Amino acid sequence: MRLSLQPTCVLAGLVLVAATGAASAHHSFAMFDMEHPIEISGTVKEFKFVSPHTLLILQVKGDDGVVKDWTLEGGAPGILVREGMTAKSLKPGDEIKATINPLHSGAEGGSYQPLAIKFKDGTPVTQPK
Amino acid sequence: MLFKSMICFIALGSAVIAGPAAAQQPFDESRYPAFAGQWQNTGRLGVFDQTKPPGRGQEAPLTPEYQAIFEANLAEVAKGGFGDDPVYNCIPEGMPRATTLVLPMEIVVTRNTTYVLMEYLSMLRRIYTDGRDFPTDEDPSWMGYSIGKWVDPDASGRYTALEVETRNLKNPRTFDPSGLPVHKDGETIVKERFYLDKDNPNILHDEITVYDHALTRPWTVLKNMKREPKPIWVESICGEGNVHVNIGGQHYMLNGDGELMPAMKDQPPPDLKHFNQTKK
Repeated sequence: MRLSLQPTCVLAGLVLVAATGAASAHHSFAMFDMEHPIEISGTVKEFKFVSPHTLLILQVKGDDGVVKDWTLEGGAPGILVREGMTAKSLKPGDEIKATINPLHSGAEGGSYQPLAIKFKDGTPVTQPK
Repeated sequence: MLFKSMICFIALGSAVIAGPAAAQQPFDESRYPAFAGQWQNTGRLGVFDQTKPPGRGQEAPLTPEYQAIFEANLAEVAKGGFGDDPVYNCIPEGMPRATTLVLPMEIVVTRNTTYVLMEYLSMLRRIYTDGRDFPTDEDPSWMGYSIGKWVDPDASGRYTALEVETRNLKNPRTFDPSGLPVHKDGETIVKERFYLDKDNPNILHDEITVYDHALTRPWTVLKNMKREPKPIWVESICGEGNVHVNIGGQHYMLNGDGELMPAMKDQPPPDLKHFNQTKK
């Protein structure tokens, strides 16, 4: 499910903006809409713990009921490891919800921050260090 | 006669063996500052001047010509592009951008060369301290050619700092991910001074001055790093999973299946004129 961000999510958005520096230290994240984060829920298809940036492939059911893969780009493995996240933090089948910054183009892609991802039961994927 | 010849031969042989050995004093590690270990950036990430915000906030002393180039780059970035930043395409950061230290670095001091091993993109700096001069016939490289000099200001026999000059740099490079430009002539000169904080030996400073024809004056910044007591290292190979590609001057993003996605709104698809597009 893809949702527009509600005011209650402003705090999450602020966390996202604050953490963006680490993610964009490699290159500009200008292709992602940092001004208008959205919430998505879905099932982890694959978590690629690769350089230069990790990739989270999330199966997301749209309002029309069609499931599409979303490609979410995150921080470098070297940054995530030092934030307490590993290649095993997410595995296929995990149900999560995340606040992400979508691609400006409208395609199924965006950027994610570890602190803005929670499992379905509300447990954070990682804790702030 | 035979005896004299043998003595002469032995003496000569000893001289040949002892010559190079005598010229090389034992490497006394205690004479050098304790640079060994893992160093992490303590300032703002992704900017050249760690004390200032990115983009225009860096207040780089650009010439009017290069300010215009930077503004055009920012306009491209505002539309969702990468502008002039070459690193998204796995080009190494090069100098001086590598000193923004996205990920930690390690310093290894040896007799004639000090190595700076950077985790990010597996970049390597060799700083020659053997008294050599800059080569005149070497091809430029992104990390450049670095010559260092150990400094012993009070002649105590112990070095307190390493001064480094880096030249012979290859383009394309930028100061940081925002696309802050260096001059296209590739004549950037980077001068650095590495030294430990006088009050805390686990803090490393790198005072950097960049001389570049895109600048109206030399640009000096101070980088601060902390020593990580329990270092971990993570391999960083850019080609492993980079999803950003440039085709015909357009930046696109690959999805999880390796398919092309537009990165910017209303972006045209790539030109497929070299493909047989006969419908099946």
